[in-house]
Amino acid sequence: MKTIIEPFRIKAVEPIHLTTKSERNSFLIKAGFNLFQIPAQNVTIDLLTDSGTAALSNEQWAALMRADESYAGAASFYRFESAVRSIFGFRHVMPVHQGRAAERLLFQQMVRPGQIVPSNTHFDTTRANIESLGANALDLPCQAWRESDSEEHFAGNIDIERLKQLLDSTDSGAVPMALLTVTNNACAGQPVSMQNIRETSKLLRRRQIPFFIDAARFAENAFLIQQREAAYADRSISSIVSEMFSYVDGCLMSCKKDGIANIGGFIAVNDDALADRIKEEMIVTEGFPTYGGLSGRELETIAVGLGEAIQEDYLRYRQAAAQFLHFGLRKIGVPVVCPPSLHAIYVDAAAMFPHIPASQLPGQALACELYREAGIRSCEIGTAMFGKTDHETGEQICAPKELVRLALPRRVYTQSHYEYVIEAFKNITKRRHLVQGLRFKAQAQKLRHFTAVFEPIESEIVSIFCQLDVEKYLTADLAYEI
Amino acid sequence: MPVAEPYKIKMVEPLMMSNRDYRKKAIKNAHYNTFLLQSQDVYIDLLTDSGTAAMSEYQWAGMMLGDEAYAGSKNFYVLEEAVQKYYGYEFVLPTHQGRGAEHIISKLLIKPGDYVPGNMYFTTTRAHQELAGGTFVDVIIDEAHDAMSVHPFKGNVDLEKLQSLVDRVGKERVPYLNFQACVNMAGGQPFSLANLKSVSAYCRSQGIKIILDATRCLENAWFIKKKEPGYDCHSIAQILMEICSYTDGCTMSGKKDLLVNIGGFLGLRDSQLYEKACEFGTLFEGLHTYGGMAGRDMEAMARGIEEAVKEEHLDQRIGQVHYLADRIQEYGVPIVLPVGGHAVYIDAAAMLPHLSQDQFPAQSLAAALYVETGVRAMERGVVSAGRDKTSGEHNYPKLELVRLTVPRRVYTNSHMDVVAYGVGECLERRNKISGLNMTFEPENMRFFQARFDLISKKKTEKPQTGVRGQICGNSQSTTNNRYADQIKERLR
Repeated sequence: MKTIIEPFRIKAVEPIHLTTKSERNSFLIKAGFNLFQIPAQNVTIDLLTDSGTAALSNEQWAALMRADESYAGAASFYRFESAVRSIFGFRHVMPVHQGRAAERLLFQQMVRPGQIVPSNTHFDTTRANIESLGANALDLPCQAWRESDSEEHFAGNIDIERLKQLLDSTDSGAVPMALLTVTNNACAGQPVSMQNIRETSKLLRRRQIPFFIDAARFAENAFLIQQREAAYADRSISSIVSEMFSYVDGCLMSCKKDGIANIGGFIAVNDDALADRIKEEMIVTEGFPTYGGLSGRELETIAVGLGEAIQEDYLRYRQAAAQFLHFGLRKIGVPVVCPPSLHAIYVDAAAMFPHIPASQLPGQALACELYREAGIRSCEIGTAMFGKTDHETGEQICAPKELVRLALPRRVYTQSHYEYVIEAFKNITKRRHLVQGLRFKAQAQKLRHFTAVFEPIESEIVSIFCQLDVEKYLTADLAYEI
Repeated sequence: MPVAEPYKIKMVEPLMMSNRDYRKKAIKNAHYNTFLLQSQDVYIDLLTDSGTAAMSEYQWAGMMLGDEAYAGSKNFYVLEEAVQKYYGYEFVLPTHQGRGAEHIISKLLIKPGDYVPGNMYFTTTRAHQELAGGTFVDVIIDEAHDAMSVHPFKGNVDLEKLQSLVDRVGKERVPYLNFQACVNMAGGQPFSLANLKSVSAYCRSQGIKIILDATRCLENAWFIKKKEPGYDCHSIAQILMEICSYTDGCTMSGKKDLLVNIGGFLGLRDSQLYEKACEFGTLFEGLHTYGGMAGRDMEAMARGIEEAVKEEHLDQRIGQVHYLADRIQEYGVPIVLPVGGHAVYIDAAAMLPHLSQDQFPAQSLAAALYVETGVRAMERGVVSAGRDKTSGEHNYPKLELVRLTVPRRVYTNSHMDVVAYGVGECLERRNKISGLNMTFEPENMRFFQARFDLISKKKTEKPQTGVRGQICGNSQSTTNNRYADQIKERLR
């Protein structure tokens, strides 16, 4: 059989609340054109993130019911610890309430002001955590990514040459650690090759610089290594995972992704002294080291979820779902980043809206348009998230790419839901020249995209159309098509 | 009429029984620190009432309604409404647990060099205040430090102490007063509304904020209803609302009063402060509509709020703690009086007079209690108090206590009988309880992970002779306890 089906059936459902276009229009205005501010109830298909949004399995629910909620030394912790150890192979496992807490705890121990932390590309909370310690988060994406080379299988790689230059040109001690994010979320979820991990490790170990992996999507990365890196075609996912982590000194994990859990994370390291320091620190902000701010229930769901995430049937299905959406969008001419990753489809909003300059946030404009059209919630990954406002001139310092991420929650939506998404894009494509750019009206200093307020920039032609009523608006669409 | 549980049991969790030899090995492996025991080796777990509650069917049903959307989960709005309705704070920021809220409020309000007064310290609270550059100042009334005092509201703030602090350092150096409900380190002792009212009037006149540690505020409200003149006709919900009305915000660990296993929140009235809190919250905890909590856990907490304000729940809850206290006193064991809302505190210094405070009497007693009966308790004495930052000496607290914390809705009164029996056994064998050496000491909050070893017999001072019943005047002979023999049988 060629058709890849879901390797599960549905055990519990959650009704979707449907809204009308005019309702959504007013919700958008109320939310300041920031989709993070829209109540989930008013969202039809929620592709904001694949983080914490998974459907648990019956096995996970069963484990959840047997959880031990003891404060210290709960049986659930020991099951969690042994699951993490057997998959990742690190000696010390410290649970935390979610990934950003793991980042903060690790960086606090490793990083001092003025130091440089290189990475294949830092994600938003990672960068914020490093910068709040007064250090520099340095992105070294590989050349293939910078040049948008769609033939490269591992565009998530770190640029080894530039990393080497950095290490050669700085004093020892300037670089306290390096971090590889697998898959590389800020680079459209592109995977990192085993070779790249190995070479990075070699480079760093020679200089005795600690090397960590942000493992949020480790299983998806391992699956893509199996598919795309010739030497690993016959290896099992779990043996690929073991090899990946054998090259590093520890890992950070947000279990809300490939842990298939709704909350939780961990830090795993081999260094005894480092583990002791983290354990001492985590008590203050997270919780006692055998629960780390998680209930016994969550420890149990993660322990089971990690095992489910490395099942090949599951990963094959996950890829098929992503490919279905990806091909569907490409077929109707939507510019998408190729090849598709497993956890999300990235639409190139700058290419879709050539009339909107990057400073007018084409990504945010597309995300708003998708919501207005069909109640689909997506996430801008461009200037709104990664850019900065120049405090002197008030102008936007733009991000290198203007993308919109359609993140795919694990095991939640069906093929029909994705067909609905494709249709929404079809409708937007028809009138794409009418879509307006946006500007910041208010923003926070850190992680501004979560709470910022935007407002549309009305160009002349758009304001004319906005004055027309809906029916005439649709007629105008048709006129354009002809 | 005796108070029975206002619920029946819907799901059970088997307990492992063990023998004395097994437990002796287990506590040795755990370095004589009950925090380091594996929970499956524990028979009755009275380590903490935090996150250990049994949820109701109503809460479990809510768990199934979890909306796990990253932003704007509907469970958040349910929680927000419940907090607004019962606590009256307009702005609600969920956090993964209480210390998440403490982390944010300390970072938000304290500047290096500030002084933060409070009605007795609590471990995590003080740690956050110190990390933010502040210095904790104890302004609780003196009676709180006296285990024998029967003052009904030992959690009260001593207004004179507060005033003299403000006069000494200036009100600009005092960003807020941390006002804790049912003061944990004092034995779960409540404050009175009259006290809060006068302190609040003073603080407002000085422009000093009051941040309520609302963790056990409902239990505090129950004591106000029962003990404070003029409040017997008020409902718990009314008293709670009145308490909150005198404060500018609260930190909350939902794992206590609110009958959930995880979660907390920060409640605020000031919109600007809330916006800044959201910035910190997003960095440390999670986006402001989930704050590091799963949707289902927010729903369970919202439903827990509704259940926790019911008077019959609190009658049983605090009634059970008092039941345990009565049984323990029957064995002649000295405890902190009056009994608080969530735990019975054994006066280890009085019970083990042959141990000096440097030999950690409370830690030793907690370890011995585990060996006797498999009951897990917590040290609240010199180990918990840590070291003075400047001198490097132990902080010697006036009270050297072992806390027997009763989880909500989990254990029956028969379990409580076993606990009381175990404590009685320790009293009987107290001459054989040896002190401890600390062999590993973490820098911060050492009690969680410190390791100990038994002091070899010869070094221990010669124990005073004494028999059960001589310590507390009001004690009765153990033979009166009809359960004692049965329990003895079961544990051997």
